[in-house]
Amino acid sequence: MNYAIETRALTKRYGSLTALDGVDLAVETGSVFGMIGPNGAGKTTAMRLLLDIIRPTSGHATVLGRSPVDGGARLRTDIGYLPGELLLEGRVTGRSLLKHYAEISGHVPVGRIDELAERLGLDLSRHVRKLSKGNKQKLGLVQAFMHEPKLLVLDEPTSGLDPLMQQEFLSMVREAKEKGQTVFLSSHVLSEVQSAADQVAVLRNGKIVTIGDVASLRASAVRRVIIDFTDVSANHIRTTLEALPQLDDLTVVDGDIVHVAGTVEGHIDALVKAIAPFHVVDLRVEEQDLESSVINLYSSEARNDN
Amino acid sequence: MTTSFLPLLRRNIADSWRGALGWTAGVAGAILLYVPLYSSFSGDNAGFDDVIKSLSEGLASTLGFEDLTSGAGYVQATFLGLIGFVLFTIAATLWSSAAIAGDEESGSLELTLAHGVSRVQVMVERSLAVVLRLTWLGAVSALLILALNDSSGVGLEPLNVIGGCLALLGLGILAASFGLAVGAITGRRSFASAAAAGISLFGYILNSLGNQSADVEWLHNLSPYHWAFGNAPLRDGADWGSLALIYGIAAVVIVIGGIVFNRRDVSA
Repeated sequence: MNYAIETRALTKRYGSLTALDGVDLAVETGSVFGMIGPNGAGKTTAMRLLLDIIRPTSGHATVLGRSPVDGGARLRTDIGYLPGELLLEGRVTGRSLLKHYAEISGHVPVGRIDELAERLGLDLSRHVRKLSKGNKQKLGLVQAFMHEPKLLVLDEPTSGLDPLMQQEFLSMVREAKEKGQTVFLSSHVLSEVQSAADQVAVLRNGKIVTIGDVASLRASAVRRVIIDFTDVSANHIRTTLEALPQLDDLTVVDGDIVHVAGTVEGHIDALVKAIAPFHVVDLRVEEQDLESSVINLYSSEARNDN
Repeated sequence: MTTSFLPLLRRNIADSWRGALGWTAGVAGAILLYVPLYSSFSGDNAGFDDVIKSLSEGLASTLGFEDLTSGAGYVQATFLGLIGFVLFTIAATLWSSAAIAGDEESGSLELTLAHGVSRVQVMVERSLAVVLRLTWLGAVSALLILALNDSSGVGLEPLNVIGGCLALLGLGILAASFGLAVGAITGRRSFASAAAAGISLFGYILNSLGNQSADVEWLHNLSPYHWAFGNAPLRDGADWGSLALIYGIAAVVIVIGGIVFNRRDVSA
């Protein structure tokens, strides 16, 4: 089996609202796949379809080689799921609740629950409803990871976790990957996907805007350039640089040193060749993180829509 | 698959035993309050009949107070047909609407369904948990009435006490089945509560209307309340056919709820 998750034209409509619109995904077995997008993009809808909590309007999904509907309860014991909005209630201790979930999922190795709780600094003897949001999230992570499922489906896994715990979570994801488990996670905190994921899909308005590995997303990323010139007029520079299609957001400040700033999409080659004839005092190219480049992607899409 | 025995049912009972204890106290309190009072009302000088005669005939028949002087009539009118019926209806409404719909509205159902359990299993085990708790209340009722049987002077046939409490339990389970099924179909607690309380109220009102005159007596045929209590189970013994009908309808309603639940989307 090559793919832990495969979807073809997966679509979910609620009346006139299209939550997920013809999504094609292929998540390789043993990889970490990130899905990012703003709230309401369809990330949670996609995950709930994979768990058979909701059913697709059209299209098809395959999870660990089976459709979620046909796979049923048996299939779900091979999945660890963390819901996006984790609501845990009840006058029970964390340990008792986890014991219950262990009874209705795959085999949980002895000592595994304590090991995970200790890692995350979670007190299992406290009553669930008295736990803070962060501690509830930790409980949710323990129940997702405890039976060492073949596939982890994690919706906004780091929400509510402090930075130290976010790092611990990322190392849990890396270890899962080393054991051959597949991890499918969503986030609107793009930096966490950036460091954990092999592949990233960007979702917007129920559609996939782009899919790629982190490196290629970075290559298509927008870079900020700052150049200082001397011995040249500001107008001359402006005319030259405005002719470059790759350069946007151009600002030119006149003075003894002419200060130029802008953003470049894609390769920087044309810009370098265009400025070669001039006297360049300083040239800085700042790589933006995935977050800024993806936000850029959203906004350019939005412009195309309008 | 799950390897343990009825995990959802055990979880449900573990979560709810405190509440069930409270309901047990309520039901026991009602019996301990009403049944011993019979001895002070009965007898020639008690004048209980006069009290009843002073009520308008319509009111007395609506409340089922025509036959308060016999022990069977008294326990039927005060506990089985009134306080017990109200308590069982409220308990059934609360428990059945919480079982699926309440869990769905709170957002916890999603995580349960994401594990290795089928929708059918969830429906069956949670329904069983509600039925089990109601059965407990029914058993407590029967045992307490039997315990007070001699000292209070109501003088009931033990088998009839069991039959009467089975009739009461049947009405509770019928209400719960509507709450469970409507909750499983709609996922809305308010609809589930309305359905559970509604079926009990519907039966009670039709029975009362049917009591008013011979012209509308046919309404009794539509009333589960009348199926359960119309033949005076404490005095004459349970109508087992009617009880089978009540329990049978409850089972069918739960199955229909489970079938729809298995096909629909569960909301977050």
